[in-house]
Amino acid sequence: MTAAWSHGVYTYVLFSIFPQAWLESHSRALGLFIDGKFVRSADRQTCNVTDSSGGPVCSTVCAVDEDASLSVSSGASGFKAWSALPCHLRAKTLLRLVSSLQRHGQCLSELCDLAQSPSSPSALVRLLQYYSGWAQLRDSLIPDWTPRGVVVVVVSDDCSLYSLMLKVLPALAMGNAVVAIPGMGTAPPVLLLAQLFVEAGLPAGVLNVVTGSVLSLGSKVAQNPHVSYVTYSGNKKDGEILCRATAGMGVPVSLSLSLGATCPFIIFESADIDSAVDGVIETAFKKNRECQWMLCVQESVWDSVVARLKVRMAGMKSVPLLAEGDRKLVDAAVQEAQQQGATLIQPCPPSSSGAAYPPTVLCGVAPSCTCVVTPSPGPLLPLLSFRSHGEGVTLGNHSPHGQAASLWTEDLTLALEAAKSLSVGAVWVNSHSVMDPSLPISGHKESGNCIDGGKEGLFQFLRPSSSPPLPRSSPASVDYSKFGTAASAAIIPEGSNSSSTPRSYLQYVGGKQCKSESGSSVCVLAPGGTVLAYCPDGGRKDVRNAVEAAIKVQPGWMKKSPVARAQSLFSLAETLELKRRDMAVSLHSQTGLSLEKADMEVELSIAQLCDWAARCDKERGGVPSVPQSGSALSIPEALGVVGVVLPDSSPLLSMVSLLAAAVAMGNAVIMMPSPKYPLPALEFIQVLQSSDLPGGVVSIITGGRDQLTQALANHSVIKAIWYWGSMEGCQFLQHTCASPLKSLWLHCQEKDGGRDWAQPHASLQEEMWRQAVQWKSVWIPTA
Amino acid sequence: DSVRNRPTYLEWVSKVRVNTQAVLKRAQQIQGRNKNKKQWQAAWLLRAVTCIDLTTLAGDDTPGNVHRLCMKATQPVRYDLLKSVTTAAVCVYPSRVADAVKSLKAANSSLPVASVATGFPAGQTSLKTRLEEVRMAVEDGAMEIDIVINRTLALTGQWEGSDFIKTSTGKESVNATYPVAIVMVRAIRDYFLKTGHKVGFKPAGGIRTAKESLVWLTLMKEELGDEWLSPRLFRLGASSLLLADIERQIYHHVTGRYAAYHQMPMA
Repeated sequence: MTAAWSHGVYTYVLFSIFPQAWLESHSRALGLFIDGKFVRSADRQTCNVTDSSGGPVCSTVCAVDEDASLSVSSGASGFKAWSALPCHLRAKTLLRLVSSLQRHGQCLSELCDLAQSPSSPSALVRLLQYYSGWAQLRDSLIPDWTPRGVVVVVVSDDCSLYSLMLKVLPALAMGNAVVAIPGMGTAPPVLLLAQLFVEAGLPAGVLNVVTGSVLSLGSKVAQNPHVSYVTYSGNKKDGEILCRATAGMGVPVSLSLSLGATCPFIIFESADIDSAVDGVIETAFKKNRECQWMLCVQESVWDSVVARLKVRMAGMKSVPLLAEGDRKLVDAAVQEAQQQGATLIQPCPPSSSGAAYPPTVLCGVAPSCTCVVTPSPGPLLPLLSFRSHGEGVTLGNHSPHGQAASLWTEDLTLALEAAKSLSVGAVWVNSHSVMDPSLPISGHKESGNCIDGGKEGLFQFLRPSSSPPLPRSSPASVDYSKFGTAASAAIIPEGSNSSSTPRSYLQYVGGKQCKSESGSSVCVLAPGGTVLAYCPDGGRKDVRNAVEAAIKVQPGWMKKSPVARAQSLFSLAETLELKRRDMAVSLHSQTGLSLEKADMEVELSIAQLCDWAARCDKERGGVPSVPQSGSALSIPEALGVVGVVLPDSSPLLSMVSLLAAAVAMGNAVIMMPSPKYPLPALEFIQVLQSSDLPGGVVSIITGGRDQLTQALANHSVIKAIWYWGSMEGCQFLQHTCASPLKSLWLHCQEKDGGRDWAQPHASLQEEMWRQAVQWKSVWIPTA
Repeated sequence: DSVRNRPTYLEWVSKVRVNTQAVLKRAQQIQGRNKNKKQWQAAWLLRAVTCIDLTTLAGDDTPGNVHRLCMKATQPVRYDLLKSVTTAAVCVYPSRVADAVKSLKAANSSLPVASVATGFPAGQTSLKTRLEEVRMAVEDGAMEIDIVINRTLALTGQWEGSDFIKTSTGKESVNATYPVAIVMVRAIRDYFLKTGHKVGFKPAGGIRTAKESLVWLTLMKEELGDEWLSPRLFRLGASSLLLADIERQIYHHVTGRYAAYHQMPMA
């Protein structure tokens, strides 16, 4: 608002009438925005956008299949023109959009208010300015990466315009074309923006907007073979549905599930209590709030917080509920909390019925209470107590969500320690809800598998120039419940009479060599087809054992100094050097590679280990510059336990490269060697055993690829799966890993030959370490 | 009211934490918050008038201009616009107390006279003369005394109690700012929650516009609640400049026209 005022009263008056005028110019029936113009077929169904009093604002089209494919082909031609431009011309175009947005900011914000999805034009201006900078710098600061192509941005109906543009603008800045599928309320402002952008010089087809039922439209558009990436922002439920609907299309999908996450608001005894309470009042009872706060207060200042809440809440008015049925849920939640001994802080008693409820603090609920576990809608704030600093962090972490946390203390050490220990994507110290595009925001745990904002957030819209995209396909009919359950052709190895008895290998779980839990084995064939060896036929229980071992040691491994991790990897490289001959022979007999070439692969593997050892203490985050005064940190952290289903190609080198990348960044890794060529990995166990890596940081399990993939997918502790395998496997993972959510890095071996492991491009290595970390931003405002 | 508030054990004062940026942000927020328009704005302005300590603290004060000030205090808004509202008090130097009391008595007004005392504005005089100054002002008829505390004691942690706290003398380079006020009113709240005693608050110095007076009222309402919106617990230390601006706003509310300063009676 203030930004618009600064342009003088004249501008203000001119455009304050403009949203209605704009809507009238479209006869209050907005079309789809495809190829730089509004498209409207008479036979399409429409849906009505209403204002807060239920009055009609305008209607939007419900797009059908034909529109979906039109929008993508428009995007494909837009992409050709847009990606061919040099960086500075793209940046220049985006900067022109800034001035256009500044001129029409008031109009836009009024349109947003009309359509009940409030948004601040100044925040959008900042977003545009930030990303026009990245458009300018792409080739100089992110060389060897290319745009993905046509990117589909889907948001749920309750998602804000800002969250939508936080995906659209970086996609455009990196040279992609976008098909945006806005929610109901964001549709009119996005259509206006698209028109303004094209008027300001964005080539036609670069930004297309299709409206309609978000979920079905999302998969309709994604189906088109010209789409290379789908990214979603909004609530969890719709995100999962989209993920399942697009599984098997061969298009990567990532989710930012920021809406509706439970976020801890932690007040330590060393806090400025008044300011902390002020923050609660400001954010906790809003009608449209992105997250559900949970107030955690240290026992020693409990009374003082409660007394201040009472003073500040006195005189607050009831908050309108979003949906009609919400009142019942609110009443039930309050009643249940009271039955469990909670007391209420309310400015006034709730009216006996009606769609509004007074702001309410539920004092003294337990973490097990339903109002904490599954928060109800409405202005309810659970208030929990904790005793020590450590317990405060534990309380905040004990949730499936990992979106953000607000913590209040004047103690610097405590603030940084707590920020480090909270498993959330954003930590706001002595502040809350601070959003800036330079601060990356990435949900941890079930709050998403996607990073938005910052330099880190650009990579979702890029791929290494030398690596091919996932090949497109159509979903096969996969019986997800049966995938990987077929028993493999396991046999019990018998003592053969021949002098060259095939050797029986053991797998490696928790730092120990062992048989599979089932006790059975499978044959490993030599290139000629003779039985070369037997390896364990691992399954669900072996994966479980490996995960149990991994979670015991991974936190310690992650906390080790990067220098210590580097030393472990260097020592691994040295041991491999000592076993060089054995490894080469094993590669040779397994794959039929000449001894010379096999030795070369071992050599490259040693180089990879040294490379990642060296990177341990080099790959750090950054200190983003933010417009407000304060200090921001962007920190890469280990994901936790990563499951890797290894490729057939370069069996030793690929395994060592992926292992080194994951372990260097502090992860524990469970590796499934290629069923075709498992021996080099099994031979490598000797190397692992004589290294000083804590047992459990690396486990190696052999067996059927589908079986093991299924076991990984169904273990909630595993945070990410890196997969090389069948198209069907990719489809299974996309479908299954929507809930509980995992990060997926999928590769189809059938269609592309896979990457050339022997030629490690810088961008491929960068991609690998970006896959191996998750990001946390910490914001510490100062005066 | 003689001394109502006796200091108690004040060690907790040293444990209070203030996060500067959060307070600055809050100050910004309060300034952007005034949404009252039309009759509600007029009502808030009247409330502001009733809380004003109409002040003259100049070296060249004479019985003449003190008399004018007192008359303005008894009829702060033009007679045809508003009747029967007065400011909270008039505030003068100790040597002018007798003049003010005389003027108000002559006008049949019971408006209290407040006086700054104790070596105003630096307070760097000896305890003996400070006490004597207070005694003399009270003898001359002052009902309220604004004492300049010995800041040496405050800075070394030797706090004392009071019935009202004031942002500053109004003679400093920086006077009543919102962030400082937020910290002070929160101290009042703290003290109230700990002792049950309600301490009043008086911002003073540089408050010249009607809009500022509304921000001050918003600040009091939001931080301390409605009880701190009455002259018993809230005073605005201001000269007739503030009053003139408020008067013009009220004129606009009543007539729909904007007034020139000369249309308002002079103080």
